[in-house]
Parts: sequence; C-alpha cells; structure tokens
Amino acid sequence: MMLSRVADHQYWMSRQIERAENLARLVRISEEMLLDDETLGRGSAQEYWTPVLQATAMEEPFKSLYRQPKQGDAARFITSDLRNADSIISCIRQARENARSVRDKISEEMWTEINALNMFVTSPEGIDLLEVAPQAFYEKIISSSMLFDGITEATLTRDEGWNFLQLGRLLERADMTSRFLDIWSQSTSQDAAEESLKWGAVLRACGAHAGYRKAYGGEITIEKVVDLLLFSNEFPRSVRHCLRRADEVLHDISGTPTGGYSNQCEKLTGALLARLSFSGPSEVLAKGLHQYIDELQRYLNSASQAVFESFVLLPSEVGRHFTRHNRQDSMSDWQREQQQQQQQ
Amino acid sequence: MILKDYKPNKLFDELIDESGKVRPYYKTIVDRLSALSQEELKTKIRSLELLFLKQGITFTVYGDEKGTERVFPFDPFPRVIPAPEWETIEAGLVQRITALNLFLYDVYHEQRIIKEGIIPKEVVYSAAHFRPEFMGVSVPKDAYIHVCGTDLIRDTDGRYLVLEDNGRCPSGVSYVLENRTAMKRVFPNLFGGGVRSVDTYPADLLATLRHIAPRENPNPNIVLLTPGVHNSAYFEHSFLARQMSIEIVEGRDLIALDGFVYMRTTRGLRQVDVIYRRIDDDFLDPHVFRKDSCLGVPGLVDAVRRGNVALANAIGTGVADDKVTYAYVPEMIRYYLCQEPILDQVPTYLAWRPSDKKYILDHLPQLVVKAANESGGYGMLIGPASTKEQIEEFRQRIVANPRNYIAQPVVNFSQHPTLVNEGIEGRHVDLRPFVLWGDTVKVLPGGLTRVALQRGSLVVNSSQGGGSKDTWVFAT
Repeated sequence: MMLSRVADHQYWMSRQIERAENLARLVRISEEMLLDDETLGRGSAQEYWTPVLQATAMEEPFKSLYRQPKQGDAARFITSDLRNADSIISCIRQARENARSVRDKISEEMWTEINALNMFVTSPEGIDLLEVAPQAFYEKIISSSMLFDGITEATLTRDEGWNFLQLGRLLERADMTSRFLDIWSQSTSQDAAEESLKWGAVLRACGAHAGYRKAYGGEITIEKVVDLLLFSNEFPRSVRHCLRRADEVLHDISGTPTGGYSNQCEKLTGALLARLSFSGPSEVLAKGLHQYIDELQRYLNSASQAVFESFVLLPSEVGRHFTRHNRQDSMSDWQREQQQQQQQ
Repeated sequence: MILKDYKPNKLFDELIDESGKVRPYYKTIVDRLSALSQEELKTKIRSLELLFLKQGITFTVYGDEKGTERVFPFDPFPRVIPAPEWETIEAGLVQRITALNLFLYDVYHEQRIIKEGIIPKEVVYSAAHFRPEFMGVSVPKDAYIHVCGTDLIRDTDGRYLVLEDNGRCPSGVSYVLENRTAMKRVFPNLFGGGVRSVDTYPADLLATLRHIAPRENPNPNIVLLTPGVHNSAYFEHSFLARQMSIEIVEGRDLIALDGFVYMRTTRGLRQVDVIYRRIDDDFLDPHVFRKDSCLGVPGLVDAVRRGNVALANAIGTGVADDKVTYAYVPEMIRYYLCQEPILDQVPTYLAWRPSDKKYILDHLPQLVVKAANESGGYGMLIGPASTKEQIEEFRQRIVANPRNYIAQPVVNFSQHPTLVNEGIEGRHVDLRPFVLWGDTVKVLPGGLTRVALQRGSLVVNSSQGGGSKDTWVFAT
C-alpha cells in the first residue's frame, strides 16, 4: 500500500526519464544520418525532420513556434526548448520534480543521479557541450538514464513503488519503440539501399543492432525490423517484451494471477499482449504499419489512463476527472503562490 | 594566521573578548582552521557547496522567476556556545514555551489573564491569528505549541534577548542537521570532542507527535502535511518525513469523511491520526478558513474538533507569536509561573497605545518597525538604514493601521567571524533554537545560527541573503 500520489509521481518519473533517453537516442541517430548525403536524397534537412516530429507528436507545437524553421531548429526543439513540454530537457526537469516529490521513497543514490542530470543539462557546461559536441551530450543523457535504471535495480526495495517505477518505464519504452517504427512507416521506398539505411537507423536508435544480427543476420528489411521491435519476446525494447513485463508488474501490484484481470489496466495490457502474441509482421504490413501503430498507441494511452484511474482516483471519481498529463507545470500561478506563502 | 586581519568592532564579538583575546572555547577551532592553507580551505568550501547542491539541499526564492532553487549559503566557521551559557538559554526557553502553552490554553478557555487585566482583551481579539472558532475546543494534552523556534540575538553586552517566538510552523531545523553532517564530512578535524549531538531531533519530534495521538493510540498513523514542492521549506518537509519514516502528504492526498481523515492509497483509504502540518491555519480547511485554499482538506477542522485527528501545532497558536502579544510574554511568565523571565527580550513599543505611537512616529529614523503578523523579514523598516521615502511610507502605514505595527530600538546583533571572499570578517548572527513540547520538553542543543552575509546587514533571513552556520554546544 502506498500513497496514490506517490505511485503517480514514481510512475511519471520513470516514464519521463525513459522518454528523455529515447529522444536522445533518436536525435543522436538523426544528427548522424544527416551527415550522410544519401539520407536526404533531394530533400532538405527540414523534410528529414518532419516525419520525426510527426512520430513523436511534436509537429503541431513545433510549427506554431517556428513559422520558418532554420537548420537546427527541429533538433533544438526536441532537445532543449523549454516551451516544448516533451523536449528532452523538459522531461528531465519534470522527472526531477517528480523525484523531488518522492525523495523519501527513492534511494539517496537515485535522487543524486537524477538531480545531477538535471543540474548538468541546465548548466553552462551542459549547454556548451550541446553546442560543441552534441553527440557527447546525448550520450551523457542516455548513459545517465541507464545508470538511473541500474541504481534503481540495485538499491530499491522490491515493493509496490518499484512496480510503479517499472510500469512507467516499460509503458514508455513500448510507446517510444512503436514511435521509432512509425517514423518512416508512410514513406517506404523501392530503393533497397535507402530502406536499409532508414531501418538500420531505427535499429540503432533502439540499440537493437546486435539483437538483430543475432536473430536474423543479413540485410535489413522492414519485415524483420518489425518482427524484432514489435513481436520479439526476447529483445528488451520490443513492444511485446515491454508489455509482457508490464503485465507481470500489474499483476504483482494487484495480486491477481496472470491470465485474468482485476482492473481496467490489466485488462488492456492483457488484451494487447494477446494480440501481439498471436500476430506477426505480415499481418502488420498487410494492414499498413502506420495504421497498426496508430491503434497500438491508442491502446497504450488507454492503458496509461487506466493506471491513473485504477490507482490514483477513488472509484467514485473516475469519469469526473480530466485526463492525467505528464505535465507537472500545469499548476496555476495562484496555486503556486499559496504553496509559497506558508513560511515562518 | 587566519585571523590576522580580523577586527572586532563595538558590538559583542562571539570570538574575541573585551581584552582582545580569543575566547577559550574557540581556541581549538581557531588553531585547527589556522593550520589550513588558503588553498586547502578553498577546496573544502567548494566541496561543501557541491555536497549541498548534489543533495538538492535547496530552498526556493520567491519572486525570482528563473533560478527558483538555491543552496542555502553555509559558512563553515562554527558558532560555539559554552555549556553554562547554554544552560541558561535552555532554561529560559523551557520557561517561555511553558508560559506560552498556558497562555494559549487560557485564551481559548477561561481567559483568566484577560479578566484579571494582565493582557488587554483588544490585544488578543485583534491578533490576526486569533481563532475565536476554537474557543472551548480541547486539544490533546492541552498542548498548543509542540514545535517552537524562538529567535534569539545578543546585545552589545552579550546578553541573549528573545527577538520573537515562532509558534506556528517554524522552519530551519533540517539545516541544523544537514549542516552538522556536512561539517563532519568536510571538516572532521575541527571537532575537538565534546560537541553535543543534534541527531536525535527526528526521533524526539516523532515522540512528540505520537504523544498527542487521539485516544492514546499506541500505533498512530502520523503524516507530515506540506504545501507542496514549490514551498521554500519543501526540502525540510521531505527531509523530516524521511528521517521519521512517516508519509509526507499534500492536501489532495487527504480526504475527510464523517469526521475522520484518511489518506488516499493505491489500496483505498487509510485513516490518519496525527498531522504534523507545515501549512498555516488559514489554508488548512476551505470549509472553515480561506475558501480559496487549494492546499487544505475540506472537513479537516471538523475532524480536529471531534478529536479524531490531532494537529501539531494546534490551530490558533499564532495569537501567541503575534508581535504585539510578544510585548506581554514577561507578564505571562510572571502570571502563570510566578517566576521572573530568565531570558530578556527587546523593549517594544506598541503603535496601538497612543503614547507609544507618538514616540514611534517621532523616532522612526532610530527604530526598527515590524508588521505584527509578518515573518521572513518581510514588512519591516530598519530606521537607520532607510531612505526618507521608506520612512514616510511606514509612517503612513502605521497611522492607517496602528494595531499592525510595533517598534523596537535597533539592537545590534553580535558578530561572528565568517569566511568571505576577502578572508575572515565579522558578520551579524542570530540563533533559532528548536523546542519540542511532548511528554517532556526538549531543546535541541544549539539550533540554527543564521548569518547576515552582507557586510553590516542585520537581515539574516534566507529569503534575503542570509546564510547559516553549524552551532556547537559543548557538553561541559
């Protein structure tokens, strides 16, 4: 048993760190790709970023802030623009705020790591590094996220709080992997070399190159990439793997045996898992990769909302409250002022 | 020699006595600090700063949009209080909190002290934090102030004077504990032995809270109620909750149903017995106090009245730390305890008394004027350091609302050697000891020494450029 708000903070803390890590992976790969002439074909850098922004649901806010985007704007928007509530630095800040709210529930080392990462990305050194050696900047975020995961693994008691941390990370990872697959889902080309370049980048963004070689070897094709990243039971970033573990975690929280369900969230992950377990890439490609992922993401969003409704709201409140967002800063000024007034 | 340029001034100097010698109880510290080279000292100070920053031991500066969080500046030159001096302070503080709690019980019940003409009725009834809604309501163990943070200063003779009693939600104790931890880590060799520990504070606080559990419940569910992460003392709230292994909750985590308070958990509701609240009365319950409060719990006050949940500190303690009431504390001590006050306090002129008001208005440039219900160094005029315009502004405020202002002569705080960029210089310090009123009364040895880091400044508040020091009370 734990405070509902604490469960919520822990869930979002790990989601946000995972999101920051995945975005860092994505931008790092993109910046590398953009150094190759072939990536662009005859297009502009901006054309490269459009599907990336679409897949990460950032296109609308980007367009409204950058009417005539210049080179570097898209990467900056995804990385460091604080007006973008889902930018890497925004995610890190929010994760750190969530951690601050549950400092008494996480280990000292976990707090120190997330606090240090937040200090780094907003420090002059961090901003400098992003300018002169962006690859090193993204590297640092990725390794800090993984370090945080490792520290959690090694220092946190396996209780309900641990389960909510895992749940956040797993659902975010499943979501981000599906988004990576979505980037070029609508622009398949007949050119095998170009295809191999794109899907190879998706693999690298997921750290899945070695896993791919092991499972299939040979040339990189969309079928095999989809097979690995959506359906693999073994690869830790595949959607199916993440969902299977999320399903286990949920059953651990509720105490219900796997295979059944006792709340909406278990029902959703269980159903989605069953779907993934009895399907494969040919079905996906026949339906259209983008359509398939679109549906998948709707499912994942409902699952996240169900976490909120099952564990944070009282049964009588479900339906009366708006959706839980990942934004901590949606608090209005007067609420903030009230919090500040109390002091002696 | 580290102190070669250090000069005491006309004020009381904590380090150097009247004959110009280092006071004996500072000798070890001075010797050992002197043994460090400038370079070593700088390295140590840097590692201290980093320690605080990495652990996120920060406070929030309000009205500062950008750098919302800052490290509370820490000065590593410890302040020392020898045992006999501390004994007097301790006895004085125990006497004071005893009188204040008797006063609060009296004010919310028979009001004998008013009936007998010791304190005018107007003083009590016009105090902003007086809660007539709580007349006749009994609180567990008849205790109102469970945690008190009394501010002390020293005048030019070295006499400790009470500057104010903070009996609502005093903060700062976490810095006492963290400062000590940091000093032990970075300056272990300064400790020459005999420094009294501060580590039992969280356990003592927990015992204090357990003491007021409704119906003597031996296993009460105790929580700390915080305004939230945007509060400047949030670090402290989180720190204390962690140290006591109790839940830190926000208003939205609690729900009052049928006269009981519960917290929302992932497995449903769980009853709460004791709330260590770090929220002002005004915000506790929108049904009773401020309707627009988003920090409180609707129905909480009803549960308190029914005795189903206990609050520390109790509702309505603000009438005792009102700056006008302050002027009457010596009378309270004489009235309730038949004793003379052990600790002196600063002479206080009350603007609501016509004769005092005239004196205040005639002497504004020499006086310190304070709003009766403000804290944190806000709403204050330091006459000698103010411009004509500021003085005129306060004159108008006092005339418009005399009840809300008091004035005191400028009391120069003692000065203490403090590390600054140019070396070691004297800076003004005060002292906030913490007193716990439970089964027994416990005074944390030492307390928070706050230091005004600006040369000549008397404002020690963290929100206005103050820092802090570790405070050492020697056992013998």
